[in-house]
Amino acid sequence: MTDILPSSDSVRQLVAQFDAELAQAKSTRDRQTVRDRFLGRKSGVVAAWMQMIATAPPDQKKQIGRWANELKKAIEEIWLGYQQAEAVVVGLQGIDVTLPGRAPRLGHRHPLTLVRDRLEEIFTRMGFAVVEGPEVEDEWHCFDALNMPAEHPARDMQDTLYLASPIPGDSPADHRTLLRTHTSSMQIRYMQAHAPPIRIVVPGRVYRRDDLDLTHSPAFGQIEGLAVGEGLSLADLKGTLLAFARQMFSPTVRVRFRPSFFPYTEPSAEIDLSCWQCEGAGCAMCKKTGWIEIGGCGMVHPAVFEAVGYDAERNTGFAWGIGIERIAILRYQVEDIRLFYENDLRFLEQFPY
Amino acid sequence: MRLLVSWLRDFVEVTASAEEIAGGLDLRGFEVAAIEPLGDGDAVIDVEVTANRPDCLSVVGLAREVATLYDRPITLPSSEDGAKIQLKPITTGMSDRLSVTIADDELCPRYAAAVAEATGVKSPAWMTARLQAAGVRPISAIVDITNYVLLELGHPTHAFDLEKLAGAEIRVRRASPGEAITTLDGINRTLDADMLVIADRDRPQAVAGVMGGARAEVSPTTRIVAFESAYFKPASVRRTSKRLGLKTEASSRFERGADCNVPAIALQRIGALMDRIGAGRIVGPLIDVYPRRREPARIHMRRVRLATLLGATVPDREVERILRTLGLAVDAAADGWDASPPTFRVDLLREVDLIEEVGRHFGFDKLPATFPVVTAPAAAPDPRISRDQLVRRVMTAAGLSEAVTFGFIEAHAAEPFAAAGSDRPIGIANPLSAKFDTLRPSLIPGLLDAVAHNRRHGADDVGLFEVGTRFSGHGETRAVGVAWTGSTAAVHWSDSPRAIDFFDVKGIVERVCGALGVMPRFEPCHEAFLVPGQAARIVAASANGSAPILGVMGRITADLADARGLPQQDQLFVAELNLDAMWRARIETTEAVRPLPRHPFVVRDLSIVVADTLPAEIIRGTIQAAGEKAPAPLAGITFFDRYHGKGIPDGAVSVSVRMTFQAADRTLTDAEAQASVDTILASLVREHAAVQR
Ligand SMILES: [Zn+2]
Repeated sequence: MTDILPSSDSVRQLVAQFDAELAQAKSTRDRQTVRDRFLGRKSGVVAAWMQMIATAPPDQKKQIGRWANELKKAIEEIWLGYQQAEAVVVGLQGIDVTLPGRAPRLGHRHPLTLVRDRLEEIFTRMGFAVVEGPEVEDEWHCFDALNMPAEHPARDMQDTLYLASPIPGDSPADHRTLLRTHTSSMQIRYMQAHAPPIRIVVPGRVYRRDDLDLTHSPAFGQIEGLAVGEGLSLADLKGTLLAFARQMFSPTVRVRFRPSFFPYTEPSAEIDLSCWQCEGAGCAMCKKTGWIEIGGCGMVHPAVFEAVGYDAERNTGFAWGIGIERIAILRYQVEDIRLFYENDLRFLEQFPY
Repeated sequence: MRLLVSWLRDFVEVTASAEEIAGGLDLRGFEVAAIEPLGDGDAVIDVEVTANRPDCLSVVGLAREVATLYDRPITLPSSEDGAKIQLKPITTGMSDRLSVTIADDELCPRYAAAVAEATGVKSPAWMTARLQAAGVRPISAIVDITNYVLLELGHPTHAFDLEKLAGAEIRVRRASPGEAITTLDGINRTLDADMLVIADRDRPQAVAGVMGGARAEVSPTTRIVAFESAYFKPASVRRTSKRLGLKTEASSRFERGADCNVPAIALQRIGALMDRIGAGRIVGPLIDVYPRRREPARIHMRRVRLATLLGATVPDREVERILRTLGLAVDAAADGWDASPPTFRVDLLREVDLIEEVGRHFGFDKLPATFPVVTAPAAAPDPRISRDQLVRRVMTAAGLSEAVTFGFIEAHAAEPFAAAGSDRPIGIANPLSAKFDTLRPSLIPGLLDAVAHNRRHGADDVGLFEVGTRFSGHGETRAVGVAWTGSTAAVHWSDSPRAIDFFDVKGIVERVCGALGVMPRFEPCHEAFLVPGQAARIVAASANGSAPILGVMGRITADLADARGLPQQDQLFVAELNLDAMWRARIETTEAVRPLPRHPFVVRDLSIVVADTLPAEIIRGTIQAAGEKAPAPLAGITFFDRYHGKGIPDGAVSVSVRMTFQAADRTLTDAEAQASVDTILASLVREHAAVQR
């Protein structure tokens, strides 16, 4: 083969031949032999042509050199391609690394747990201690102590689930037991057991006499916040919730307080956050208002301090209640609250471990 | 409350549009549900009024808010000639056509009335249009006027056909037990002695503050009308309304608190409207039984307290403007103000209530956002928080996903999980549906339903856990529940996965126990919901010899699985652990690490044939006890094979045990190890008739 003389035809012919012979080669060794006949340093065609340049007449040196280099480049290119394919083939002769691995099973945490953990983490960093309280409560802790006397409409059988038989606890015999309608009952329990200053958050489940539908649930999670001390103000509450909202949703979120009414806070407000999806321009998430309501808050009513024996003159405090489902719905854009309680793995597996 | 904007403009002149007014009300505590545009630039704003503001269930009440919001004067009803909201001057006195007596002035501190001659005309279009815009159906001129005043001034009044009042008298008294009345809605209602009625000489003619009676109802042919304008005690109206199951526009206002100083004004307004629409005229005096006049309270508000609570300084002039426009009388005091809230502001009782009013109209949006100074280190968190987080980590690491189910379930789903006596499930007294009528005694029923849901949707391998609260007659406990069915691993090309069995779940239970520092023991047990022979009670092996029950585990019976909609062929294993009991049973250990052994260990395997009814735990105990007397210290026992079948007699089983010997102070010799194995084997032979293989 080394006797083939350089010409543009022979370049074409040799390249085609190299390609064909490589394709026919059955093993790596065969392919190596083919390669050596073309690219071998001593006996290869390319080497022979290179040597010819030196011995050729001066007027042909340039042309032969051009053909030799053209051949070398084309042959090397084809060889490189085969080598890359070979790498895969060599791999196959070991194990097929592209087959699926044996993944250890990992379960997924529930989105409501993820939100709750995140809330706890944010408020812990702000110096709030996380505490829990009982889900079965008595009327005194759930209502009376929170400035909702016996005649208060919220105590209606309409809204509150009462137990058919009492569960033993610390409630006086004349108080019915019920499923707590808010985590605020834990404000009372904690203040009864601790002196100010206080900074706590209370995550937990609460119950309402509601039907389960797209947006309502008879049981849901809440996180209560309570801070008591000297000189705490509504502006402090605003700052605390602003810091929370910026860590939870977006660093540019703004907080708006809309006056409202809760018997255990005065002043009371609804907590609105500026919509972080449309930056206030109006979108589906904020129902085109630019604002998203996430809960209620206010300054602790002096009657509540009086109920737990605190000095209502010396202490001021603030409290809030935020729905955990509400946060989860916003963060994960869940349109049906029932998804949280169906426990469908196709839903759960979309959340981190 | 449906607020007609043109009606509002009678009271306060603002150039703002309906949308602007609605937006302003929204930021002052009156959530706007909707704005409905009407023709010619008018609109209805549907405003939600919070329970503490019954005064704002009226045009004049919301007008005060709008006046304060826009810093505009408010036009109040007046008896002056040419007044925009006209009152008819009527002198107060006794009437010879109607006598009024209050028998119970605790439940009715004030009762005013006036007699009118009616013409029987129809209400004019402007009046019916306003009523309709506000959502009230026009009926007759007399009734329409009372409704008009109700909407405008927020005060419920009532009209009786005077000719149907026996003895031409009104007695405000409690009902006698069993006394009955047919109310305007045609329903016959039996009253009790705590209910206040408006009676004539012979019988009740109205349930006070709730609804009138059918007998003295006014009609277009009524000639003489007695208008009632009274104040009833809120708690009494609330109780009566609730007891009768009868909620009306009147009752909802009286039960939140009406204004005891407006009844005469309301009658004067009725008089003016009668004149204006030609519906008739008031004849005779305004009868006003008001034995103890209620004076406005006086509340002191300190400047410093105001600034402290809001976290901002409101200029004095602004404080005074806000309170005065809202209708309070305000006097400056040395350190702040003395203010008298009008009697219609039933919500203003103490200093903090005034602070809220100032803050609300100053604008919460003007408050800065400050972060409160930390004055003490954070308190210790509840240890349950990190305990439950740890349990969740163990569970997800074991491949189970977390479920959240409801704390209440249906009674018959709770039944198999109920024990006798005080552990009976707790029922809910007023459940909304039978699906949620019992507090869950266990997390397992909820998990079964969650597994069933997933099986129905095509998932073969379902492993779920839940950390949640359970309830019994002894109180509530936190538990972790597990439900697992399907294969141990996902389908893989290399081999076929094994089905979940008892020991997969047991392994998880052991892991949780390990994480919480509890030593568990498993005892066969019987549970209604578990397959006999595949059920275990988990108890804690504690130092003081007590063995508190931590939970149960096993395989769910086919009957129960079927009842919860699970496929027949499913093998579903469950476990439930009482985390509170585990926390109490945990063994506190030192955090210090043990030094690593310096001498090598020796391993010896031993295969024995024993009766297949002999529990592994007993074999382990025998080996352990014998090992203590053996020359080489026994450091570990592992069961590595268990074999039934060929070469093993029926009723027997081959058990293979790997024993690890290790001494802290020396390298063990073969002879020592062998002597130890011999000692142990001898013990097994002696105690369990074991035969070495
Ligand atoms: Zn938006």
